Amino acid sequence: MGDKKGKKKRSGGILGFLRDFTYGMATHGMARHALKTRSSMEHLFILITMGDMLGIPILPPYYSLRLLPYVVPQITTWKRRMLREKDFVDSLY
Amino acid sequence: MSFADELLRYPERRYIMFGGKGGLGKTSFSAATAYYLAKKGKKVLVFSVDPQASLSDIFERDIFGKGNVEIMPNLFACEVDADRRIRDYQEEIRKKIMDMYGMKKIPEEIESYIKASSAEPAMEESAIFDAVVDIIVEGGFDYYIYDLVPLGHALYYLSMASIYDAWLEKITQLREQMREYDKAIATMKREEVTEEDQIYKELLYIKNRIGTSSKIMTDKEKTAFFFVITPERMTIADTEKAATLFRRYNVPIAGYLVNRVIDKGLLERDIPDYLRNRILSQDEAMKEIKDRFGDQVIATVPEFDSEIKGLESIRRLAEAMFEESLR
Repeated sequence: MGDKKGKKKRSGGILGFLRDFTYGMATHGMARHALKTRSSMEHLFILITMGDMLGIPILPPYYSLRLLPYVVPQITTWKRRMLREKDFVDSLY
Repeated sequence: MSFADELLRYPERRYIMFGGKGGLGKTSFSAATAYYLAKKGKKVLVFSVDPQASLSDIFERDIFGKGNVEIMPNLFACEVDADRRIRDYQEEIRKKIMDMYGMKKIPEEIESYIKASSAEPAMEESAIFDAVVDIIVEGGFDYYIYDLVPLGHALYYLSMASIYDAWLEKITQLREQMREYDKAIATMKREEVTEEDQIYKELLYIKNRIGTSSKIMTDKEKTAFFFVITPERMTIADTEKAATLFRRYNVPIAGYLVNRVIDKGLLERDIPDYLRNRILSQDEAMKEIKDRFGDQVIATVPEFDSEIKGLESIRRLAEAMFEESLR
């Protein structure tokens, strides 16, 4: 779907090129920002499900165990990030 | 109203629970009710999650951790081994991790997390209630009689269930937001979102499990919760407190059963003062029970001359509870 749109826009000569250029510039920044937010969310998610790994008591260990397998690869980076920040609340967002 | 009427009045009713302080006769009543329903041709499962294994004692059979054991025609009993369940569950998680990432060994920090989880106090309750959901979801019985863990545990779980629920709601929302971001990023990068979010699926599963287990305890049509009391002041006061709490969590309380009532007729005879005083104080307590619980008292069961143990004495107890011969 994205490709079609792109082709359509590109067919507009110099004006179209400019439009495409600015669009691309803006999107790139947005995408970067979105990715960053997304990874913060990932870490927030692990914090509220597996927080007891850092000594933060989390409610139901029985069910958080079910989620554990899916976050195994992120655990190390998550721990590093959480413990690196001066104030870990900063790292939430 | 008699206990039999109360029990069979609702055709939808499937879950019967006995609650009360420890040692008042919950297990005996569970067994006797199961016996009665089985004799009436209903297929009954009586189950317990108490590690002290009282069903094994009353049926004089070792059924602990052995699944559904047939005691007599239509009557099955089951005692859940919560510890083993937790161990199996942890092993299942380990295996899943190793399979998913092709590991030979669980990384140390993950392993210590798994190990530590079993030390959490909520772990056992959660495992127990999860086991109950398993039993009930499996189906196959007309009635399920739940020989409940002491009141504290049940209340603890009920309050946990609502907190769990709020917690899950929050993380599910977060997960949905993350999913939105995934989609947006994919659109911007002109890619397709292909992989399914497994965590989201797990969250929905967990939600469903918790929902089912708290629903079992609060379903007005399917569940009946009976309190077992004895004619003693302290029991009455404690039970009343517990009943108020249970009501707050919408547990449908269907009635009270009074156990261990000594025959008042004995007063006419030449009996020791000890017994006379016991009878008189029970009589006072009975008046109080009548005042406080009124017609919610649906059965009064006498004190037996021996312990309830084995099918023969269970039958005698059932006859007293249901006021009919079950030979």
